[in-house]
Order: sequence, then C-alpha cells, then structure tokens
Amino acid sequence: MATKLSGALPYRLLKRCPHCDSHVPRRSQISLSRQRRQKLSTSQGKLAVAAPEIDLSTIELKPPNPTHARIVPASPSYFTGRPLYIDNLLSLQSLLRKYQTLPTVEPGLAPRVAWKTVSQYRLVVGEPVRPSKYTFVLRILKRLNQIHPELVPPELQDELQIYKRDVDPFANRPTPGVIDEFGRSYGVGRRKSSSAKVYLVQGTGEVLINGKSITTVFGRIHDRESALWALKATGRIDKYNVWALVTGGGTTGQAEAITLGAAKALMVHEPALKPALRRAGCITRDPRRVERKKPGHVKARKMPTWVKR
Amino acid sequence: MSFRPCWRCFLRASDLSTSIWQPSPARLSASAAPFSTSTSSLTNASADRSTAFRAKVFNLKKEKPKNDVRAKRPAPGERKAYRKRIILSNTNALPIYGMEDFTVENMCKQESKGMVLGIPGNNVDQLRAVEAFKPTQAWGMFRRPGMLVRNETVEYAKLLEELQSQGKSLRRVLVGERGSGKSVMVLQAMTMAFLKGWTVINIPEAQELIIGHYDYAPLSGSSPLLFIQKSYTARLLSQISRSNPQLETLRLSSTPPSNFPIPIPANISLARLAGLGASDPEIAWPVFQLLISELTLPNSSIAADDQKRPPLLFTLDSLANAMKDQTAYMTASFKPIHAHDLTLLKTFMDYLSGASPLPNGGLILAATSASNPPPNPSLDLALAKLETHSASQSSAPSPDPYNPSPATPNPFYTYDQRVMDIFEGPNGGQVEVQRLPGLSKEEAKGLMEYWAKSGILRQDVDERLVGEKWSLSGGGIVGELERGCIRMRI
Repeated sequence: MATKLSGALPYRLLKRCPHCDSHVPRRSQISLSRQRRQKLSTSQGKLAVAAPEIDLSTIELKPPNPTHARIVPASPSYFTGRPLYIDNLLSLQSLLRKYQTLPTVEPGLAPRVAWKTVSQYRLVVGEPVRPSKYTFVLRILKRLNQIHPELVPPELQDELQIYKRDVDPFANRPTPGVIDEFGRSYGVGRRKSSSAKVYLVQGTGEVLINGKSITTVFGRIHDRESALWALKATGRIDKYNVWALVTGGGTTGQAEAITLGAAKALMVHEPALKPALRRAGCITRDPRRVERKKPGHVKARKMPTWVKR
Repeated sequence: MSFRPCWRCFLRASDLSTSIWQPSPARLSASAAPFSTSTSSLTNASADRSTAFRAKVFNLKKEKPKNDVRAKRPAPGERKAYRKRIILSNTNALPIYGMEDFTVENMCKQESKGMVLGIPGNNVDQLRAVEAFKPTQAWGMFRRPGMLVRNETVEYAKLLEELQSQGKSLRRVLVGERGSGKSVMVLQAMTMAFLKGWTVINIPEAQELIIGHYDYAPLSGSSPLLFIQKSYTARLLSQISRSNPQLETLRLSSTPPSNFPIPIPANISLARLAGLGASDPEIAWPVFQLLISELTLPNSSIAADDQKRPPLLFTLDSLANAMKDQTAYMTASFKPIHAHDLTLLKTFMDYLSGASPLPNGGLILAATSASNPPPNPSLDLALAKLETHSASQSSAPSPDPYNPSPATPNPFYTYDQRVMDIFEGPNGGQVEVQRLPGLSKEEAKGLMEYWAKSGILRQDVDERLVGEKWSLSGGGIVGELERGCIRMRI
C-alpha cells in the first residue's frame, strides 16, 4: 500500500525512508502475519473451523477509494522517539552484518578519522540524541573503520562519509621539514612570549644566537644548557652548528624557545630521535603564559591587604 | 640637737653646718648621686642634666649592653686584603707528577700546544712582584701555578724570540671576549720575558691610577700641565726592582739631569736606583724617568764594558680606563684631569703610540678588559678600525649597508682626539690589534685533563664532554670553560 500511495504521500514522510532496500513494506508484513494466523487456525481448524477460507480471487474487488487511504510512514522507525537515529543505527548494523567478514587492519593502524561529535550529529538529524545512544553508532563506525582501507566497498565509504566531520583535523599535517641546499634544517620554537628560529647544520658545535656567542647572550650557564638541551640530551652537541634568531621575552623564555626550535630542526636531520627528544621534554610546547591581572586583585591572584574599616 | 636624717641620701647628717647643702663644685661632682651605683666618673661624663637624673631612676629591667657586637670587627684594610689576596697553591689539589716547567725551549715548541706547563718557582715570585696574578683567576685551586700553552702562547714565544734577536719593537693591543684569557696572555708574555731576561714593567690595573685612590700633584715646569702620582710611582719602582734581578748588573751610564733631587753615585746600579725611588715617594717620579731613559738607551751608546740593555716589556691591563678623558682627579680650577695628563699613563701611551722609541727592542702590550669597562667609543672605534684594517689585508669584507661595521664613526658620538691620535697619529699606524679567540678543542681537552688530574674535575674527559663544554663556553672561552667545569660544580 505504501508503494501504491507513495505518489500521494507528503514529501516529508517520503524522505523518512532513505534506505528502502533493507526495508520490508508494512503491507507485506501484515499479510504475512495474517496468513500465518490462518495457517495456525487451519492447523487447529480440524478441531474447530469457524468459516471456510475466503477465496479472494472470486471476490470482486472494488477500485480503492482514495479517501479511504491511510498514510503509512516510509520508515519503520517513524513511531520511535528518534526515528532518524534508529534508521541510521539499523542501517549501520546491516552494513556491519554484511561486511563483517572483510579483513581488518591492526587496531592501531586504522586510518585516523574524526567522527562527528554528538552535538554535530544532533544538528544533522535534528533529534535530541543522547550521548550514550550515540556511542552505539560510534562503536559500529569504529569497527567498520577497521576494515582494510583497500577493501572498503564504495557503499560503505559513502555511508561512513555521513558520520565524518566536515573538516578533518588529521588531514592538517605539518609540512615535513627539509634540509635545504646548504644542509640546513629549520625549526621554530616558542616559550612564554619568546620565539626562536633555529637553523641546524652539521658541524663542530659552534653556536651563534642573534649573531652573538652563546656566552654573550646567556650569562647563566643554566640558560646555555637549556638552550642546547635538545642537542645535549641526544649527545649531538658536537655534531651540529646552531644558528638562531630569537626575539621577545626574557632570558629563560628565549633559552627554552631555542630548545624547542633546535629539537624540531634536529628531527629533520634525524627523525628517529623523536622519542628521545620527547623523553628529554623538547617536543611539547609549554603553553603557560603570564596570567592576566584581574579586577579587584593586586596582581593575577593577590588580593589587597585587609584593612579594618 | 635632733638627728635629722637626710631623706635623700639616708645618711645621718651629724652636723647641718657641714657643707652638704653648700657644696663646692668639686665636691658636688664627687658626690652628686650618693645613692647611684654608677661610678662618679660616669656621672661626670654625662654633662646633660636630664641624663644625669635618669641615671638615678631605679630600673627593674635589665639594661641592654650598648655595644652588642659579638663578632670581632675586621681591622682597617683587612677586608680589602682578603679581597685582593693571591693564593697560588692548594694543598688539597692533587700534585701532577711529570708536569713540565715553562722553559725557553719548550715554550716555543709546537708539541707543547695543549699542555699545561708549570711556572718555575722564581718566576712565580717575579710575577707576584709585578702583580701579574689576579684574584679572579683560579690559581688557588691547584697545587702549583700552571699555564696552558695555547696556539697564541707559542706565537708569542716565537715573537719574543724574533724581537730579541732582531732588536725590533712591537706595540700590540689584546682584545677579546670576557674571560678569553687576555690577562693571562699578558702574564704568559711576562713569564717568557722574565725567562729571557727582559726588563718587565707592568701596570696591573689602569683603573687604580684614575679613580683617585693615590695622591697626585702637578708636575712643576710641565706644559701642558701634567700630574704625577708619587706613591704609585714609588710602588711601581719597588715592583720593578723586586722583579727584575738583571737590573743589579746594569749600571747608570748617563749623568742624571742637573735638577735631579738627590745626589747619586755615578756608577749606581739600576736596581739600587729603583730602590731609592721606591723608598722615597718624593723622588719617585724623577727616579722613574731616569730609570726608563736608562733602560731605553740605545745599546750602541753604551760603553763597551757596560752591560747591554735588555729588551723591555711594558704592559698595562684594562686599557679603556687608561683612555678616560675624565679621571677622578681634578685640576686647581676643578676640571677633571685627562688620563693622559697623568705622567705614568702618559709614559705608557707614548710607548704605545710609538712617540717614544724602543731602540733595544721590546714589546708594548696592552690588554683591554671586558669586565665592566668604562664606555669609551673612541677606543672602540680606533681598535675596530685597526682590526678591520688588518682583517681586510687578508680578505676583503663585503660592505653591508644595514649592518654598519664598528669601524665606521657614529655621527652621534664625540670622539676623543687624544685617544684617536695614539692609534692614528704619525707613529700610531703600526699598533697591532690581536683578538683572542676561544680555545681549540684540543687545547680545551688538554686543560680539562689537567683539571681532572688535579682532582677538581671529576668526570671522564672524553670527546663528548669536551665537545659539550666547549660549545657551552661559547667556543672555548677559557673563563667560561673554567666556570662551567670547575667553579659551578653542584
């Protein structure tokens, strides 16, 4: 009946069933159950038969009266609380059932995908989907994403695309550093309000910072050591020459900005040093800045002295 | 007659007619406060009446002792002596067996490079006499004083050899980063000169001469007016006589000027002459003048039986102080005196500029100081010009309009022509400027091994450590290397 009446159905309801392939029409379900009931009744009919079976072929059917038509929703989930969500979940489950035998990759090697967050998903479906319910979707998505990338069927690809974020943050990869024609690698480091551009070239351990020697720039030995810490921690201090330009901030910030820049530049020469550099604390940028002053406070946190009256 | 007690003093006045109530001033002072436990001398001392009264108040509280100084205060001059003392030995440091001494032979050998050689004992005394050791240097950490033979040391040894053999003279200014070893280079030059029998005169710190710590007086008959520093000159003469034993053999060969303040025997030894000046500051300046003129007499003009004059090494440390246009000394019209109007500094500057010749050869060596020097744009410009001049002879520098070289005069500065004339004057063109670079890694390794052998550096001296410390010390700046390895140990 749904197929017959589809021309008369409102657009909104028609749109409700985007995946009709897996969808069994309501009418056939009804008729099947009726037949089953009749079969049941016939099996028991030997004991008690109310009436002979109606032979429908002999009954002259009147042409249907459109005014008697009952609108049947396109989606079976129409009467659930969140029909689109249920549709999506069912569709994903059927896909998983269909492709669950496809070979998968190792857990860590699946392509990194940023799935839509629950709030982004809510905007798409327009339904108040709970986070706990969305995790069912996510669980299936993650399983489907494990399928070997070369074997993913186009149908599945299209389906997964719906759940991916519009902007893929993992696609935004830093351009890999290169060693230029003079053998220099380049890295930028920042700390507090300092910023350092560091060039590394294979050499004998000479250091020039803003065109001056390191002893002139950093009076404290501690600052010198932290500036060259990336090289010192990896035992490369006498293998490279450092040429850095550093601006902003004070001595500590400048020295530690050079650390980060030198570590990045060193990773261009020797990418395998990344774990060692991470252990030495030369990879992660320290995001701390000066805390702002607040109204009512003397400084960021300090309160004025309490005065009687 | 009733016995009426005196209620103030609880004494029984046996006789009222006694002079208690009509005391004489002398008596009053002796018994003004009969009940007080303080001695009468103390009451006398307090002339103020109110304090005298207060002394009588019965006080239950224990009075604070006024001079609550438990520690012994240092005697006058003790702190300065402590600050300036030179320690040349440390019995806790390990002795290094087989450490060679600095000799005339091994100081110019290429093989000695990177080795630490000990300073011979009598040379230590001489160097101590000329105040070549500085309190800031790390002599007191080692068993005995030793010096690293660096590339420049060998160059100096060869240079001194050449100057002596050819009778030539050279004027040189040492520049370099702070802690790059300029003062020690001067010390090494002095050691070599002592070993070779040269005469050495050293002004250990030019700042001492200009900050007004020594007495000064106008030099009569000088035009423009010059100023002498009698006691410093006497000190310098004492230093010369103690450190240069060869002066004993040198005899006065010229007659002293007619206005010489004291009569001196004709054949007096120069050591005796210097000793005379050292003992009496009043005659120190004329004696110094005579001594210098004697030392720089051409050997050709000396009688055959007299000893020939050895070459002269005249050194001065902290050159920027000697170039100040305003010293702490004032003229009679209360204008600051230019450093070059002080006779001792003028003498040195005349030699440095070449106005006074060194006929028997010698070396005039001035070291700049990078530790808190007074700003002196004239000196900076003059030295930069000479340095770029000598550099441009080897390779032509590319002109960079955005980064003007320090050898270009700054239009916003005023330059002192008297300073510029020393380096640019008629004779000044030949002053050499030598920039002391950092140590090479081999030299740094030799030095660090010496520290390790002395038990001060407790690490394995290998390529890695040397490379690391070399980089951290700005490319082998000795002072920084020392600071990073042996001073700032945790």
